[in-house]
Amino acid sequence: MRKYNRSLWAVMAVFAAFALAACGSSSSSPTSATSATTPSSSAAPAKSGGSVTFLYGVAPQSMDPGMDYTTQGAEINWVVYTGLTTYAHANGTAGTKVIPGLCTALPTVTDGGKTYTCTLRKGLVFSNGQPVVASDFTYTLERAIKIPWGGSGEFMTPVVAGATAYSNGKASTISGVTTDNATGQITIHLTAPYGPFDNVLAFPALGLIPPGTPFKNEPTNPPPGVGPYKVTNIVPNTSFTAVPNPYWAKMDIPGIPAAKVTVNAKISSNIDANALSVLNNSADFFDWADVIPGSLLPQIKSQASSRFKLVDLGGTTYYIFLNSQHKPFNNLDAREAVVTGLNQQAMNRLGSGTLIPACFFLPPYVPGHPTGASCPYNNSSFTGNIAKAQALVKASGMEGYPVTVWSETRSPRQQWMTYYTQFLNQIGFKATQKVIADANYFTTLGDLKLHPQTGFADWNMDFPNPVDFYGVLLDGNSILPTNNENFGETNDPYVNSQVAKLSAVPTADLNSVAGEWQSLDKYVAQKAYVAVFGYETFPFFASDRINYGATVFQPEYGWDWTSFSLK
Amino acid sequence: MATTTSETGSQFSTDLPAALVHEGEEVAAGTGPWRLAWRRLRRNKTALFFGGVFVVIVVLCLLAPVYSHDVAHIGPATQNITGSNLNTCPPTCVGPTDIPVGPSWNISKYFLGADSLGRDVAVRLLYGGRNSLEIGAVATIITMLLAMILGIAAGFLGGVADNIINLILDVTWAFPVVLLGIVLGTLIATSGIGPLHSTTLMSTALIIGVVYFPYVAKPIRAQVLSLRQREFVDAARQQGLGNVRIMFGEILPNLASTIVVFIPLILANAILLEAALTYLGAGVQPPNASWGTMLSDGISTIPAAFHNVLAPGIMLVLTVLSINIFGDGLRDALDPRSKVRIAH
Repeated sequence: MRKYNRSLWAVMAVFAAFALAACGSSSSSPTSATSATTPSSSAAPAKSGGSVTFLYGVAPQSMDPGMDYTTQGAEINWVVYTGLTTYAHANGTAGTKVIPGLCTALPTVTDGGKTYTCTLRKGLVFSNGQPVVASDFTYTLERAIKIPWGGSGEFMTPVVAGATAYSNGKASTISGVTTDNATGQITIHLTAPYGPFDNVLAFPALGLIPPGTPFKNEPTNPPPGVGPYKVTNIVPNTSFTAVPNPYWAKMDIPGIPAAKVTVNAKISSNIDANALSVLNNSADFFDWADVIPGSLLPQIKSQASSRFKLVDLGGTTYYIFLNSQHKPFNNLDAREAVVTGLNQQAMNRLGSGTLIPACFFLPPYVPGHPTGASCPYNNSSFTGNIAKAQALVKASGMEGYPVTVWSETRSPRQQWMTYYTQFLNQIGFKATQKVIADANYFTTLGDLKLHPQTGFADWNMDFPNPVDFYGVLLDGNSILPTNNENFGETNDPYVNSQVAKLSAVPTADLNSVAGEWQSLDKYVAQKAYVAVFGYETFPFFASDRINYGATVFQPEYGWDWTSFSLK
Repeated sequence: MATTTSETGSQFSTDLPAALVHEGEEVAAGTGPWRLAWRRLRRNKTALFFGGVFVVIVVLCLLAPVYSHDVAHIGPATQNITGSNLNTCPPTCVGPTDIPVGPSWNISKYFLGADSLGRDVAVRLLYGGRNSLEIGAVATIITMLLAMILGIAAGFLGGVADNIINLILDVTWAFPVVLLGIVLGTLIATSGIGPLHSTTLMSTALIIGVVYFPYVAKPIRAQVLSLRQREFVDAARQQGLGNVRIMFGEILPNLASTIVVFIPLILANAILLEAALTYLGAGVQPPNASWGTMLSDGISTIPAAFHNVLAPGIMLVLTVLSINIFGDGLRDALDPRSKVRIAH
């Protein structure tokens, strides 16, 4: 999914920010990103009770899971609304594993991958004490489709049999879902085999909610869920409180810990102030989805090294798309020139040292990432080879060809594309940059009539399955006239056929085809359909009060709120 | 109070309040209103000083190519992230965590330091000033032209024409500037509007000009509503002059003081709005510089490299302040009665 961080900077903040100015020492070496594994064994014993303050720079889209489709919302909704499946509460690759949620086991997949069956655990209740029954799943799915939830058009409506007719108003329920409240059995029929369906069931949007919940966005009065937390005291775009669900411990669902602290979440768009608050221990958590200003990083690293890490969550790729259907990048030499010459270390500086230089499209924690493989074009230091790039541009016959580089306004994305524009001019193109307001950027590029030649793009995994990347961003069959995400209009028959074949493999069997996904990823790198320039690392920064060693950096959702505890 | 009516029906007063006449000074008979206004302005040392400051800023910005080529030897868009391109930053122009090098105070080498892309801040400051002032000037011209034409037409013609023009003014005025900026900026960038097919300085000036014209058109309309009842308008009609000739030949000159007073106000606001529109992608496009883009780029480096926002911020404040203070002096010189009224 796109990570929409809406930062509003007023010109007068120049003067207000002077009040926050702090002397900082320059950093002489970049921080190496950590791919955190399990919590440190030196963590102090966890203590239950107490409250912590969590600072968001950007508010969740909605506290209603049937509406929200942002990283900010998913971070809390994941531990409020548990689905039939969920993810392991663990760091690193262990956290990408799908585990049973409200079902007793992972769904049984039959009928060639088209039927998923599981049984609801007994004794489940919502956070208001109302019992959970199997038919609540049908209601939850129908509501997510009707609101509609942002991912329903891709992951639910065309996937579940009968959902399209229901969505169009031609059916009163979803015929592909059958439930038995007496036994707790839930059976879901798909229109075609869809491998990542276990991951789809783990979305907070499919976290069960009580029947009768209105079919509309309820941002201030969201429905009760089944999860370690429940949310109260919602003041839209300002604050909310997450308190431990009093019914959770009794249900004793393995693999999903109970909450230990109350979390007072506050929304403050002044990211500098948020970082300083955590540094000074007047707040406890800095939202991982916000960007710590590079100018504060040296100070934080020197003063708070024991409670700050830049973590590669392994699910985000930053790349430059290259339109392979239109000049000049319909020429392989021209595309190769970009990948060969781009100085990723310079891009990393512009990104405050938070990027891990890379060349493969799938990020590290997505099965299919070619771990250990050599990049086909980049040099080992990722500093780029300008001379070779210039030669490739000459060989392509595209020297002097006008190129428009598209970019957002926010930092450092605009700086990245300004640098990239200058680089294209340096290697022989005639490039100019066009900046589009952040709110409009992806929608504008998604209009196929525009045929954008090149520009910035990024993808944060919806779930750790290569289909989430290839099926949306590089499959020729995913090109849409509007809201297109395949900006480079990649339409390679080999890529298309491999995606079609491999996307049918269920999540539980993903490892068996990891090798094929790796081969596909290497093929795409060879073809230079995109110029990957880094995997983003994210700040996990907490106050001195927190038992930092015990916190979990969940690769799918960021901070795992169930791991929060005080020293 | 004695008033002099010139051939164009000017309303300037030659009867100076005592406080505004220097002891022993005599006003010669037949002294024109503009000459009198100039004399009043000349006595306002503060206004003249800040007018001079503005002129100095303009001259400095116009000399940007000279500074760039002959002194700093670096262009406004030349990037130097690692310092290896021009080898002029010890050891790099931009640190590993995006902190650019600070002011060197060496006039020929990164005098005010570098920005996050390793570009020379002093050079960009001067080139940026050119662009900001150019946008401000063109936007002001667009605003004043639109305001004069529509304001005079609405006030003079009345009836249906007045209603329609008022509706246009109200809708434009009510439209959120932010939304208008985003919409127009995106439209121009993707498909263009008329001759504007890419985001150029003209595009930004057009957006600002359209945003501000209602603020000037409405006061002009109000003044014209009063002027059209005057005898000189009747006299012009009696002479057989057409509406257009009356509007722009008889009424327009009487609006001179209003128009002149608005010009510096709109200019100052246009420069400020350009800075704001940059955040929305509707401002100056990279790699071109403007004070707005420099502020936008420099915000993220404030705690450790606030020179990136301090320099354009100071220039912006100085420019807007000098325009406003000079504008106040100009208003006082053209219509001293307003000053006297306030004192009472």
